[in-house]
Amino acid sequence: MSTFSRTWWGQKFIDALESFTDSGRLSRGRSYARGSKVKSFEIKDGIVTAKVRGSVNPYFGVYKEPLYTTVVEIQPISAAKWAAAIALIASKASYISKLLLNEMPDTIEDAFLTLKLNLLPRKRSEFKTSCSCPDYGDPCKHVAGVCYLLAAEFDRDPFLVFELRGLSKTALQAELAKSPLGIALSAQLSTQATSSAPIESYYTTPQAIALPSQTSLKEFWQSPKRFSALPEPSTQITVPAILIKKQGDAPSFWGKDTSFIGTMEELYERVKTKNRDVID
Amino acid sequence: MKILHGTWIPAAEADFIQAGAFYLWVETTETAGKPSKTASSHPRQLTKASLAEFLATELGIKSGTSTTHQPPQLEILPQYFLLPTIADQPLPSLELARYLETELPETFDWQYWQVDCYKTTALVKIGSFHHASVNNVIKVLNELHFLTLHQLADVQLGADLLFWYHYTQAFKQVIVRDRYIPAFKYRLLATPKTSRAAKSTAKSATRAKKSTASPSTPPPEFELYAAWEIVSQQYEAEIEQYAEVMPLVCAAGFAAPPDKPQLHDKATLLRHFSECLLTELVTHSPSTAAFDKKVADSLLELCLSPQHSATPNRAAETLEWYQQWKIWRDRIHRSQAEMPFHLCFQLKSPDQPEELWTLEFQVAAKHDPSLRIALLDYWRMRSPQQKQFHKEFGKDFEPVLLMNLGYAARIYSALWAGLDTDQPISISLTADDAATFLKETAWVLEEAGYKVIVPAWWTPKGWQRAKIRLKASGRKLGGNDKSKSYFSFDTLVDYQYELSIGGEAVSEQEWQQLVNAKSSLVQFRGQWMELDPDKMQQMLEFWKKHKQEHPEMGLLDFIKLTATGEDGFEFEVDHDKTLTEMMSRLNDKSALEVLPEPQPFNGTLREYQKRGVSWLHYLESLGLNGCLADDMGMGKSAQVIARLVQEREAGETLPTLLIAPTSVVGNWQKEIEKFAPQLRSHIHHGSDRVQDGKEFNAIVQNCDVLITSFSLVRRDEKLLGDIHWHRIVIDEAQNIKNPKAAQTKAILKLSAAHRLALTGTPVENRLLDLWSIFNFLNPGYLGKEAYFRKSFEIPIQKNNQLTRSTVLKKLVEPFILRRVKTDPAIIQDLPDKVEQKLFCNLTKEQASLYEATVKDVEKKLNETEGIQRKGLILATLLKLKQICNHPRQFLQDNSDFTPERSHKLERLTEMAAEAMEAGESMLVFTQFTEIGESLEKYLRHLHYKTYYLHGGTNRVKRETMIADFQDPETEPSVFILSLKAGGVGITLTKANHVFHFDRWWNPAVENQATDRAFRIGQKKNVFVHKFVAIGTLEERIDQMIEDKKKLAGAIVGSDESWLTELDNESFKKLIALNKKAVME
Repeated sequence: MSTFSRTWWGQKFIDALESFTDSGRLSRGRSYARGSKVKSFEIKDGIVTAKVRGSVNPYFGVYKEPLYTTVVEIQPISAAKWAAAIALIASKASYISKLLLNEMPDTIEDAFLTLKLNLLPRKRSEFKTSCSCPDYGDPCKHVAGVCYLLAAEFDRDPFLVFELRGLSKTALQAELAKSPLGIALSAQLSTQATSSAPIESYYTTPQAIALPSQTSLKEFWQSPKRFSALPEPSTQITVPAILIKKQGDAPSFWGKDTSFIGTMEELYERVKTKNRDVID
Repeated sequence: MKILHGTWIPAAEADFIQAGAFYLWVETTETAGKPSKTASSHPRQLTKASLAEFLATELGIKSGTSTTHQPPQLEILPQYFLLPTIADQPLPSLELARYLETELPETFDWQYWQVDCYKTTALVKIGSFHHASVNNVIKVLNELHFLTLHQLADVQLGADLLFWYHYTQAFKQVIVRDRYIPAFKYRLLATPKTSRAAKSTAKSATRAKKSTASPSTPPPEFELYAAWEIVSQQYEAEIEQYAEVMPLVCAAGFAAPPDKPQLHDKATLLRHFSECLLTELVTHSPSTAAFDKKVADSLLELCLSPQHSATPNRAAETLEWYQQWKIWRDRIHRSQAEMPFHLCFQLKSPDQPEELWTLEFQVAAKHDPSLRIALLDYWRMRSPQQKQFHKEFGKDFEPVLLMNLGYAARIYSALWAGLDTDQPISISLTADDAATFLKETAWVLEEAGYKVIVPAWWTPKGWQRAKIRLKASGRKLGGNDKSKSYFSFDTLVDYQYELSIGGEAVSEQEWQQLVNAKSSLVQFRGQWMELDPDKMQQMLEFWKKHKQEHPEMGLLDFIKLTATGEDGFEFEVDHDKTLTEMMSRLNDKSALEVLPEPQPFNGTLREYQKRGVSWLHYLESLGLNGCLADDMGMGKSAQVIARLVQEREAGETLPTLLIAPTSVVGNWQKEIEKFAPQLRSHIHHGSDRVQDGKEFNAIVQNCDVLITSFSLVRRDEKLLGDIHWHRIVIDEAQNIKNPKAAQTKAILKLSAAHRLALTGTPVENRLLDLWSIFNFLNPGYLGKEAYFRKSFEIPIQKNNQLTRSTVLKKLVEPFILRRVKTDPAIIQDLPDKVEQKLFCNLTKEQASLYEATVKDVEKKLNETEGIQRKGLILATLLKLKQICNHPRQFLQDNSDFTPERSHKLERLTEMAAEAMEAGESMLVFTQFTEIGESLEKYLRHLHYKTYYLHGGTNRVKRETMIADFQDPETEPSVFILSLKAGGVGITLTKANHVFHFDRWWNPAVENQATDRAFRIGQKKNVFVHKFVAIGTLEERIDQMIEDKKKLAGAIVGSDESWLTELDNESFKKLIALNKKAVME
């Protein structure tokens, strides 16, 4: 993982963290997050609780690899204010559409601003963090590590930001259901993520079938249809990579900083042009 | 004859990854000389060495690329096919059976046969130093299809390969239109076996116990494989369609013979083929280091590498990728899946040029796209109305709508601006944005599955408004001055270039202003249009270069210029009145003024024939040469003769040279005699023809039409070449298709004021024939042969380029008049049954046999009496008829049944070719079994589908033959029937040509036979062709039948017995041979 977040909202969260944490702890925190030191990571009732492996440090009297408990909380928004915020969100189709596409609307903060709120935390005071490590500094490197991972989680699931701000998924759905546009999003949220689909063979297996009885020579050798005309040539201008474009430029499995669509466009083009010898 | 076969054969090992390959094999008429090594080896195949040789020399399939020092061998491997088998021999394919003498059985067994197959692969460079062999079946089939269709005569594509050709062309769309995505295949392995635990040591057993004791189940053991997945509704539909029409033989190939007879399931076989092919192509696409870097450490790297996609991946990280990918993939599938409505975007232009454009959001019901509603109206609906609306558009209308607006906005981000409300209805666009939308975004949105509605003026015509206009006026030289008639044929065109927009001339200044305007979407003279400033700049330069010119050119060059353009510009042409009239008549023949029937003409021209004559007249008056290509049987010769009469009426006296196949030379003379006896015709043919120049010249001066054959033009090149003909007519113009043949060269050298080609074959499908005909009519018009091939034949017939065929059509259309019988306008012009005689001369061989027989009879006739005399007469009639048909029939010596020995057979061959080419079926009646048999065999060898019904055919076979022949899916075929067996009770309405190979005395019998085709259910006009041997008793019989029609009942009797009542002299007269009618 080169950067923890490629979305503006994840990045904003990291920016906030970095604004009040010293650079040494941040850089250690990044390596903690990258080096799979965070053993478990749980979000419950808007509170993030993580178990982080510490390091042996005889200077502090730590001789055995310790396991610290790190807790991160974000200052919640009150239920009443949430109701107002969701009503605002549900008044704009662009917000709902973006959320339907699993993206945080880029102007969502404008909506919160009208209520004198901000969705993504900006100040130290909005973070409530604690860690069982002996470091006197808060946030410590463990907290930083957990926050970096949290930003990556936000990328994947922007609704997590709402949850950390005290709006549970059920509450969110309840609020959404109050407006016509919100219902649309609410319905989408309740559809379950798809599970793995195991398959039996890499390619479709050609099935064996018994020889149909009383096959005539004509049926065997010839097609029931006469192919007289050439297949219609396609006169349509093709738009590259259109199939994947609707799903956005940063699908979650694409862990790179470059554009996924751009790369796919090039790939499709290469397949066409470089194979002229075998397909044209 | 060789039949090319082939199919997709899955690899034998049914592993998790089951590969496969496309194999070609060749079935031949010759059986392998020596008995094959293995008992199950197919006897009628090209085996390894000869297959490689054949592929290389005949089909140009050679191994490998030149980059390696040692050319790799073609991969030829034995494969196994389940084939219909009888008596331990595989039955030939239906294509091959036509070239064999065997009768195909009704019942048969099945057996696997080993066949040497070529695996279609090409060596492809995939990296700087790496090559890989990749399945190139799409290309191979395209080339084979082209070769066998247009160039190779003795190689035919089997129905199996024809199927695959069509399927692969359809499948190519998946690649061309990017309809596939990277994928993972998730394989769940069997959960750890208990047996493994049992085998483990005590120590690990305790550990195992521990883990089983804990209630949490162990993570499932899995393997992940990188792959590619096709996502396309069109592909899914095509799998279904093509599985329906796949010949079973395509599903009968195996890498190893199974134990019992079985086939592959068609749909899964097609999927297997498609998936294997796609994966192979994608994973073997040549890459670069730079691109490799772009995909490094990503799912794409795994998917692109042939090694990675073939090896299982168990990494936890990959599993995470898989889960993320799965959500992504499911969303793609859902966005593709059936939506109850279409999301539409309609672009609306403003009333005032400075105002903004609007892109309105609309929805249309999928089941009824005319039910289109603007979102503006939807939001205004009251709740009950909306409920009603949801019935049509789905109850999840709003979420689906918002989701799709979001998807659309991802593609076209300007849409987000329209979504900043709870009731999105539209966005506004500047003129520049609107231009981009029209030119680019609209396509993208359409391709992504949205409907885009653009302003009505936005059409291919509308976006090429700016043009260079060719202002042209026609000028005819010479006027009506008859004495200068030779020089009056060139119609000249004066022309001048102008700049034009939307059909209106524009000044240079105005044009320059538009070029300087930055926006390409402008309102010009009150109308919105899109102009391309760059192109306009180029046009301006072209115009500046040429504006001073006031040149002239020939009409032919003018037509060519307007069809093909110059310097890459297409011209808009502004004709003056004369030219407008000319061009509209040439391009739309129904606009021609129909001239009155010429006089004296012994017959009645049908309406379309009159139009044909008028067309010939008009074309020639413009100095152009054309091709009359009416369908067979529509009376091309009557039109030509009428044209000759017409010009004689106008005072023309110079002779026409008519070149025809030998088999129709006599018929031409007969037709001239029939329609215009006043025309003096002369046949220049045979060894006693005039060869002296002076004498020949005298003949020519004294005749209106000189008829000769193709072969004689070559022999008497000098004699014919010394005359400047008024006109040369080539009948059956496909005879000059070989430009290298001496006879073609000789014909091209002849000089004439007018040239006319006649043909009944659809020339537009055989482009090289078309070129040859034009090379005769208007030499140079379609360029040299090599140029024509490169710029028309290959682009059109191999690469399917519509634009090229449009250009070609524009080029040739004014010069071709082709009417087809199925044209509704023609049908009402034609009687349901059109009868014509086909007069054929006897060959020298036939004539000498005929003469000898007649001589012999004349002698005997005086010596016999009573019953003996009767017998002699009947036997003589029989013999003479046999001779008229074919010498072999008379000699009964099993000698060659070739068309060279009988013009009747030659003519039938030519006409059968025309009918088959036009997709028409025909019946051939004969009263002789031996002729029926010979004809059937002979026509079958010309690879036509044939049937033969005679007195000995049993009822079951007869029924199957009839049903098969009548089946609309059966290709056009020839049905041969004996007059007696086939004369009554059956319906063969698929045929619209009926031939009577020999004649019967009683027209009622012939008519009854003809009525097999002409029955209830016949929707086409039926053409009846009756053969008559010129100068023989056949001609006299025909004459009698004609007379009898006039004097009803004067001659009685349904058979020949009344002829025995004739006295000796009358009989001799009846059978005497007119020697003039003999033709070599």
